[in-house]
Amino acid sequence: MPRILLTTLLVLTALVLQVTVVNRLPVSVVPDFVLLVVIALGAIRGPVAGATIGFFSGLGADLLPPADHALGQHALVLCLVGFTAGRWAERWPLLTVAACAVGAPAFALAVSGLLGDPGIDLRTFEAVWPMAALVNLLAAPVVVWAVLKVLGPRPEKATAAAVPGWRRA
Amino acid sequence: MKDSRRSRLFLGLLLAVALVLITVDHRSENTPVFGPLRTIVTSAFGAVERGVSTVTEPIGGFVGALAGAQGSREQITNLKAQNSKLEGELSSQRIDKRRSAELQAMLGLSGLGGYKVVPAQVVARRASPGFEDAVEIDAGTADGIKPDMTVLNGQGLVGRVVRATTSTATVVLLCDPASSTGARIENSGELGVISGLGANGNSGRRIMFRLLDSTLPIAAGTRLVSFGSQQGVPYVAGVPIGVIEKVEATPGELTRTAYAKPFADLSSIDVVGVVVEGPKRDPRDSLLPPAPKPAAKPKPKPKPATSALPGQQAPPQIARPGVTNPETGPANRAPAGPENTAPRNTRPENTAPENTAPENPENVAPADTRTTDRENRGETSIPDDEAA
Repeated sequence: MPRILLTTLLVLTALVLQVTVVNRLPVSVVPDFVLLVVIALGAIRGPVAGATIGFFSGLGADLLPPADHALGQHALVLCLVGFTAGRWAERWPLLTVAACAVGAPAFALAVSGLLGDPGIDLRTFEAVWPMAALVNLLAAPVVVWAVLKVLGPRPEKATAAAVPGWRRA
Repeated sequence: MKDSRRSRLFLGLLLAVALVLITVDHRSENTPVFGPLRTIVTSAFGAVERGVSTVTEPIGGFVGALAGAQGSREQITNLKAQNSKLEGELSSQRIDKRRSAELQAMLGLSGLGGYKVVPAQVVARRASPGFEDAVEIDAGTADGIKPDMTVLNGQGLVGRVVRATTSTATVVLLCDPASSTGARIENSGELGVISGLGANGNSGRRIMFRLLDSTLPIAAGTRLVSFGSQQGVPYVAGVPIGVIEKVEATPGELTRTAYAKPFADLSSIDVVGVVVEGPKRDPRDSLLPPAPKPAAKPKPKPKPATSALPGQQAPPQIARPGVTNPETGPANRAPAGPENTAPRNTRPENTAPENTAPENPENVAPADTRTTDRENRGETSIPDDEAA
């Protein structure tokens, strides 16, 4: 039970700090800490928990003001990201985290494009995605380390193989 | 991997729920199914965001202080400690000063246009790739803010309100790809549409302008003001939007495309004003900052027909004075003789001898309002330049 509370608290903190502090820093590209927290939590807790955490974090991100997009867009993206992180983090922890951090902005853009949001085309993708992926990649080790510090390593018996990988991360 | 099938089923279920949510939300544009849910969560999170913003406001100042403290490295330790303390105080003062300058510029602009504004401050911002460019401000329906109201700052148009709760409101910025605004070319009636470019626009530093008449010549340096909509919803008329930077050759197209730089710095907006009541008359081009030197010669900027109107010179009407800093309040901002430039006093019966009594020595004839008008315009241009 305290784990659920801790997870919820972590996600809520990330959500609020993202829009109030990080997005308002005077730089043009900032990492998406909600995404990184979901990746870290998914990697620690496994696919089902990852998908659930991702879904509800995304729902929170959709509802969190200021919002003006269709409800569920973030939920869709983060649900899949959380699942992916949980599914493969056991086997290739570093690669999975990196792939999720890099791939999630591309997936979000693709979903927006498919939903017909105005102004999302290939040019936007080229302009936005490389920088977003880069800053996510740079911030990922810090966030994963911090989440590991708060929640502890994966509590299954297979973690013995995964933990050394985490420590290096 | 007996867990994997169950987990895949679960993933599929959650993804389906997300898709259903998207579909329902998309389809129910006019009767929002999730309206109450959104309202509740938005109010709750809005309150939290306001709180967190209040606490974390000094962070920006702290970063600024770190960047500015390079030269003090060789100072002795205790001096350094003292220095950093003073630096912190100074930077917070600098933030206050900057805010007050922004507020002053905003009030000056809205006073000039005769808009009634509610001042507000940005508390949260959204900037994920693929999502909207929107900010949350700390004023809501309790302050008289409703959806589809114009938001401006001291430099120009910022965006419009899309959703309002009791104490916060969501503002979609001018640079959001989904927003389009009617714009008019300075000193002419030529109309066009401003649309945001999102991330393509260099994070809000560039917006697209499509001139509806493709045969008209348009040059870099041309300035745009908002055309205004029916009843000022969602945009009131006459708010400066930006200046054309680049004109694209679009032979054979029905519209002419140009790129403009917004007057308002959309990447770092802080103090904004929400227009709760539009002007009684279109302020035309009177809100544009003084034209740069070369452009000033062919086009004398203040149109005599509009600048001579004393009604445009009403003092800024501030709907929520409790928010303003006392020393930067509307009182300091008021033009030299507000009562005398108000339209009611320019009527003949008000120029009767009892109004020119000694207790009202500054009472001026309507002809003189033109001079005060010009003075005030010069005055408001100063904070504009400072903030720029």
